[in-house]
Amino acid sequence: MRRSITAGGLFAAGSLMPVSSMLARQAARQSTAEGETRVPATIVDGKVVQPRRELPVLQKTSILVVGGGPAGTAAAFSAKRLGVDVTLVERYGYLGGLATGGLVLGIFPLYDRNNKQVIFGIGEELMKKLDVLKYGIIDRNKAPIYPTIDAEAFKFVLADMVLDSGITAYLDCWGVDAIVDAKGAVHGAVFESKSGRQAILADIVIDCSGDGDIYAAAGATFEKVKTNIGLISRIGNIDEVDMAVARGSEDPEHPVTGKPGSGRPSKGRVNDMNGHAGNSTPAPHVNWLNMKGPVGDALDVGDLTTMELKHRRATWGNVEKLRQKPGNEQVYLTETAPELGVRLSRLLDGCKKVTVQDIRSGAKFNDVIGYSGAYANAPEFQIPYGSLIPSKVENVLAAGRCISADFEVADITRLIPVCWVTGQAAGLAAALCIQDKCKPRNVSVLKLQNLLRQQGAYLG
Amino acid sequence: MTLLRRVPRRLIQLTCFVGAVVLVWPLVPWAIAPRLFVQMSPFVALSSSIAARSIGVGAVLALIVVVASSFRKRWFCLYVCPTGFLLENASRTGLRKIRWWSKCPPVGRYVAILTLVGAVAGYPVLLWMDPLCIFSSPFAVNKATNPISVILICLGLGVLVGATLLFGMLWCVRICPLSGLQDLLFSARKALWTKLNARASSEKLRLARRAFFAGAAGALLGLWGRRLGAARYRTSDTLLRPPGAVPEDRFTGLCIRCDNCVHACPSKIIHPDTGHEAGLAGFMAPVIRYDRDYKYCLETCNACTQVCPTGALVPLDLQQKNKYIIGEALVDNNICLVPLGKKECDACERSCPYQAIKITWDEEQYIAYPVIDPNKCNGCGACEVVCPTTPAKAIRVWTQKSS
Repeated sequence: MRRSITAGGLFAAGSLMPVSSMLARQAARQSTAEGETRVPATIVDGKVVQPRRELPVLQKTSILVVGGGPAGTAAAFSAKRLGVDVTLVERYGYLGGLATGGLVLGIFPLYDRNNKQVIFGIGEELMKKLDVLKYGIIDRNKAPIYPTIDAEAFKFVLADMVLDSGITAYLDCWGVDAIVDAKGAVHGAVFESKSGRQAILADIVIDCSGDGDIYAAAGATFEKVKTNIGLISRIGNIDEVDMAVARGSEDPEHPVTGKPGSGRPSKGRVNDMNGHAGNSTPAPHVNWLNMKGPVGDALDVGDLTTMELKHRRATWGNVEKLRQKPGNEQVYLTETAPELGVRLSRLLDGCKKVTVQDIRSGAKFNDVIGYSGAYANAPEFQIPYGSLIPSKVENVLAAGRCISADFEVADITRLIPVCWVTGQAAGLAAALCIQDKCKPRNVSVLKLQNLLRQQGAYLG
Repeated sequence: MTLLRRVPRRLIQLTCFVGAVVLVWPLVPWAIAPRLFVQMSPFVALSSSIAARSIGVGAVLALIVVVASSFRKRWFCLYVCPTGFLLENASRTGLRKIRWWSKCPPVGRYVAILTLVGAVAGYPVLLWMDPLCIFSSPFAVNKATNPISVILICLGLGVLVGATLLFGMLWCVRICPLSGLQDLLFSARKALWTKLNARASSEKLRLARRAFFAGAAGALLGLWGRRLGAARYRTSDTLLRPPGAVPEDRFTGLCIRCDNCVHACPSKIIHPDTGHEAGLAGFMAPVIRYDRDYKYCLETCNACTQVCPTGALVPLDLQQKNKYIIGEALVDNNICLVPLGKKECDACERSCPYQAIKITWDEEQYIAYPVIDPNKCNGCGACEVVCPTTPAKAIRVWTQKSS
């Protein structure tokens, strides 16, 4: 009964599945049947050529969200709450993106310089759902320590919410192209899945792909950047004493005691992973272990493949090294993240670019849609709506790590809670486009800010 | 008649006192005003010029004062010295009856001799007893970040005022090296002027002997102080001096504890030392401690180097100051969050104003850690104050070791 209320009461008899999802399934089945007649790629004059062909339309929707990570799910939830038709597409088999599949479990940066939380809205809601779960989240409201979530708990929360929300979701479905009309406006996107190549038509597309795949395909201008790509892992059987130390280095309640930090470090000496590697997670005796990784091109399949293989091999080796330290003999590698930890790849050329100068001077934007927490020497800073709108292409919004910002700024806005902020704002802006029948760049900022506040977001 | 002569003196004194406050505060938009004020003391200007083996504007001014002093006894004390003015007024309200010290020898002139000879050895031993320096100190109190600093900053003038309230003008008449220097010059001039008496009186011999011992003590103490400072610097790991500081063997002698540098620092990271960092020789001398959130030696500031009256901090322009090595940043990889895979952290790399830190990926060990370029790092502390580890910082600025 509870389910039917939250889902808006639209259920087929004898099923817990929302009608929209059922329709989606039927459409998918039909298109597979049609797909059997398709013409394969051929070789013409020594070149591989794909013949021109009509793509089956999987779905027509108002808002299409590409990417089901923190930004994508926040966008889909916030838009759906305004009663707009929302379709969410995700390339992996689970939701949560890097926060779950990437094992980026630290919810950081969440606080301003005075240790006051500045990120609320959908993100806070999700954390509240994790609060009630056993082993769902730790270190809540303990600034300056950041909360750490459990990946499986978060996958559960997102799956539960999507199933109940009435959002049409397609998983294992990779956005590969934008659908653009003669004037350059976007009307949907093309996907590749086990059902073949299909199109979803939409009035507004929110690109939460992380790499900006859709806006890039639509012809929006962007900056391509390369940075470190790592692979996070979780290690189990960390004994409890050690775990206290592991959290200690940032935790005033558990200060580092004993040898570390007691004397002058010798120059250039590099320690391999020592006893207290990684940071504790909600799961007992399990730490998550971050990896910086080498600089690579996140848009190059060769680089990605090399890193997936080398990172996994080296992680195993490093855990073996860790096991040689006293007290860690029983440590084992619980898992390596299913997804590579790609930090940044494309940065949008947007209506407004958040610059290093902006965040140093504490710039205030008229179209503020949220805050990022303080990070290193940068205080908390505002994020403008303009940084989500491509300067050229219509009907597209960006959210997540691929928004319009300087590299140094994007290195902060890429982090999980800030993706929640930009995602929620993009979702509401898209919903306003549908309601007011306008383009993203013409959305009433005042209305958008009011809606964000109604949904609990913090705008200063 | 005497009244008429006294009134203008008090007026001149008051004017000089107000002028002193204006310069030290400083209420003039002139960054070097506090330095000029302390340099007006001929004792400071002469001793520091000798110790630094250089002659500046201050030394020339001091020579004028010196020549004038030899004609009119203690005119500087009577008209100019703001500390004298303050103590004179204090003695009026204090217990003036205690006069046990009237038989006390004139310590001041021996302090002056001792210090001047020490200055020849490069270490003006008791230069910190200069009254203008003591007067300038308490103005730095608004930059004190802890009670101990407040006490240290106010100590000099506090002791003088307290002693004057209790014992009258003991300091000015007997101990102050500036008045002692003036007395010396006055009697030297008189000795030159009047015909030299071939028959040396026993009194004169006694004075000469005392002066000789004071000078010898100055030389010995000076050399000992230099050794002490140098030794301390070799053994200390955490001793950081403000930018422009001369080598440690001479610093504790040249520094007169005027706290002008403490006062000038916008980041409030310069503190008078309790002796904890630099030992007894460095008592109350300025040290840098990066103990305040986000406060470091700014790349846009060279204020402390501009206000030092003795050249303990050499005046540096901004570019030179940013090249001056306060200390060296070193990373403790046992607690740094990056090699331990604890967190996504590049706080030090991000905050470094000189791009001296790079979080480097080590393909061999398959971990990353901060690598510091010693040619770019000047020990400004920007990395230390943002490092999130607690209580020990993973990256800290340490005393630079040449090896």
